[in-house]
Amino acid sequence: MKVFRLVSMLALILAVGVATTSCKKVKDADVQAAAQTALTANPDLAGVSVAVLDQVATLSGTVKDDASKAYAETTVTAVENVKSVVNNIEVVPPAPDFTAIDAALNSGLADALKDHATVKAEVKDGVVTLTGEIRKRDLQTLMEKVNALNPQQVVNNITVK
Amino acid sequence: MALLEKYRELVDLARQYGATVSDEGNVLRVRGEVPSGALKDSMWEIYDRIDPNFKSNDLILDVNVNATEGGKVKVVTRESGDVITLISKANDQWWLVRDNDGEEGYCYSQYLEPVQ
Repeated sequence: MKVFRLVSMLALILAVGVATTSCKKVKDADVQAAAQTALTANPDLAGVSVAVLDQVATLSGTVKDDASKAYAETTVTAVENVKSVVNNIEVVPPAPDFTAIDAALNSGLADALKDHATVKAEVKDGVVTLTGEIRKRDLQTLMEKVNALNPQQVVNNITVK
Repeated sequence: MALLEKYRELVDLARQYGATVSDEGNVLRVRGEVPSGALKDSMWEIYDRIDPNFKSNDLILDVNVNATEGGKVKVVTRESGDVITLISKANDQWWLVRDNDGEEGYCYSQYLEPVQ
C-alpha cells in the first residue's frame, strides 16, 4: 500500500510537471501567425513571408528598399515569443516609372524638331532615339536642343549629309 | 570612369567653369552655365572632335550661356545678329524677349546668346 502511494505520488508529480511545461511551451504556429499578421499590416511588406521554428523567425520574400527590409525585421522582433530573426529578405528596387518623363520629352521634342523636318525622334524610358538625316552644320543645333531636354540618353542614328 | 577619361578635355573645361559632370555609367552628363557662347561652342567642338557627329550616345552635353534677365541677347540665327532684350526665362527652352520695336514674344533659348 505504501509503495503504491509513493508510485502514485511520483506519477502525480510527473504528470503535473509535464502539464506545466507543455502549458509554457510556445507553439511556433501561433508565433508565426502573429508575426505574419504584424507584417501584413504594412502594405510595404506585402511581399514578405515569415516562418517560425523553435521561436526563430526566418523572413523571406522581397521588398522595394533597405528601409523596408530593416522595418520588417524590427516588426517581427517585436512580436511576442520571437527569440531571434533571420532576415533573408531580398531588396528589389521597383522599375522606375518613365511615363511622366517620356511625356515631357515628347512635348519638348515637338519644339526642338520644328526646324528639322528631316529628323524624327522616338522616346522610350527616357531615351531619345533620333533618326532621319541632317546637314552637318545643323547637327550641333539639334543636339543642343535635344540634350537640353534632360533625357536619360540620346541615341543618334541620324545620317549626316 | 572610362567616359571621364574619353572626354577628359571637355570634362576639364566644364569643371573649370563650374559645370557639373556626373558619370552615370553608360552616359556622362555635363550640365551647367558657361559665361559665353564662344565657350559653349568650343565645348561642342571638342565633343564633335572626340566623338565625330555625336554618334557614341554616351554624353549628354547640356550647357547654357548664363544670360541675365533684363540684359541684352543676340539672335544668333539672324545674319544681322539682332540684339534684343531678354525679359524673363519661362523655362530652360523658352525665353521671353522684347525686340527693338517693343514687340514681345517667346524665343527658343538655343537661338539666343548674351552680349556682354
